[in-house]
Order: sequence, then C-alpha cells, then structure tokens
Amino acid sequence: MKTFLFIVIVLISGAFAGLIHGTVNFAIVEPYLDQVIGIENQNLFASGEEKDTPEFWVEYEGYRIWQKSGQMLAGVILGTSIGALFGIVFALSRNSLPGNNDVKKALVLAGIMWFTMFVIPFLKYPANPPTVGDPETVVLRSILYLSFITISGFGVVGFYKLSQKFQNKRKLVPIIGYGIFISVVFFVMPENPDEITAPIDWVNEFRIMSFLGVTSFWVSIGVILGFFWNRFSPNKETTQSYN
Amino acid sequence: MSETRQINVSKTGVSKLAIVVLAIIFAAGLFLVGFDQGHIFSLVYGEQAFEDLYIHELTHDMRHAAGFPCH
Ligand SMILES: [Zn+2]
Repeated sequence: MKTFLFIVIVLISGAFAGLIHGTVNFAIVEPYLDQVIGIENQNLFASGEEKDTPEFWVEYEGYRIWQKSGQMLAGVILGTSIGALFGIVFALSRNSLPGNNDVKKALVLAGIMWFTMFVIPFLKYPANPPTVGDPETVVLRSILYLSFITISGFGVVGFYKLSQKFQNKRKLVPIIGYGIFISVVFFVMPENPDEITAPIDWVNEFRIMSFLGVTSFWVSIGVILGFFWNRFSPNKETTQSYN
Repeated sequence: MSETRQINVSKTGVSKLAIVVLAIIFAAGLFLVGFDQGHIFSLVYGEQAFEDLYIHELTHDMRHAAGFPCH
C-alpha cells in the first residue's frame, strides 16, 4: 500500500466533503440559528441582562460573523476527522464491499455508515437548535450520544464478522442480527433528559435541515473518496522496493 | 552486516501506520468540533481559555447542525 498517498487522498476527500457540508449548513441551517439567537437576545433584553443598544448589536454582529465563518472551518475539520474514520474502514473493508468500481463500493460503505452511525442515533438523539439543551446536562448528553454511535458502529462490525462464520445466508445474518441488537439498545438507552421548550414545529424544521446537511456529507465523502481511489489506487503496491 | 532485510507487504494489506495516523486525526478533529469547551487552548492560555471559548464559538454552529449535544 502506498501509505502516504492513501493518507493524503483520505484527508483531502474528508476536507472536501466537509466543505460541502459546511456550505450546505451555511445555506439551510444558519437561517434557523439566526432566528433562535434573535429570540435569545430578546430574552436577554427582557431579563435586563443586556441592553438593546447599538453597541450590543455591533458586538453581536461580529460574534455571529465569527460563528458563521466557523461553520465552514468546522465543516472542514469535522469532515477531515470523519473522513479519516471512513478511509480506515474503507481500506479495511474494500474487498468485501459490493460494486464493480471504487465509487460504488465507497457509496455502499458511506450508506452503511450514514445509516448506522448517523440515522439511527439521530432517531434516538436528534439534533437540537440552540436554547433547547440544558448546559447542566451537556456532559451526560455527550456521553449518551457518543456511546450510542459507538455501540451501533461496533454492532455492525460485530455482526458482519459473525456472519462470515456461517456458510449460507451470509447477507441476512448481519442485517437481522444488527436490527434486533440495535432495537434493544435503542429502547434501553436513556432518553435525552432535556425538555423541549421551543416550538416543536420549528425544532423539527431545524432537524430536517441538519439531517440534510449531514446526509450531504456522507454522499460527498463516498463519491469523492471513491473517485480518488479509482484514480490513484493507493492499495496497489509499486514495483519499486526499498532495502 | 550480512543480514538481508526482506520487506514482505501483501497486496491487500492496509498500512498500520496509515491507520494510526488517521485514527489520531479522527479523534482530535471529533473532539475539537464536537466536544471541546476550551480544553485545547487552555494548554497554552490556561484557565482564561475556558472563559473565552474561542474554539467553542468557532465550531459552535456546526456542533448544533451536525447533531452534537450543546446548549
Ligand atoms: Zn450551543
């Protein structure tokens, strides 16, 4: 394996897909964040914590520009990070993935990871716009969220490995096994402790936008890494050898 | 110095070094975007970093949008 080439194309694919994710969020998620932060500001004025002065708004605008530009940067960082995981899993599983080219293989894997590490955890612990979360419970919520993703991800790997021990019905064993396993985990895991006080329609719209954003990332990472893999074949050994 | 070093690399093998490097990038990036509350800058700036939350503010919108727990 061409180690350096492999790392480089994985990181570039992740960064690109993350940039797309950031751009999509900038277009469809930011309007919701502007709204909610507007409400937060009104609450600050009402409670007397802040005064509705021009100075406040100057500071506020600067702060929002910083946060919005961060959306892009954070998209690239997060994309590179998740892309690194995707690259590891793709390299390890490529030979067992269906598809006659690397784009198809990468898209299949992206679909599996999207479903098991995003969709299912999202159904249990959906994204929330600002103000919904209680800062007191953030550590607990982070632990729950990460644990669920980790359990789901390792669940898939576990059932896949298990299925390789059976000769027949190899495809059904991991799917049914994982389905039962994750359903149990889904109901056993504690609920998000926070109560939603914001209007539920609005929260749901935010969740749809968030869902579309993350989905755009998984589609992109599959296409981009698959394309680069087809083009550069980092798994093939060069004929040169070093002694 | 008569030792002959032979490097056997199987064609389908995945570089362990690459996996380690990518795993570190995965963990660091995820922490930075998803969970940092000033920890990373506190290594340089001390307690003040927890007050300023630079990275938190910068990654804050993505944190909400990507579904990570926040405020
Ligand atoms: Zn927040």
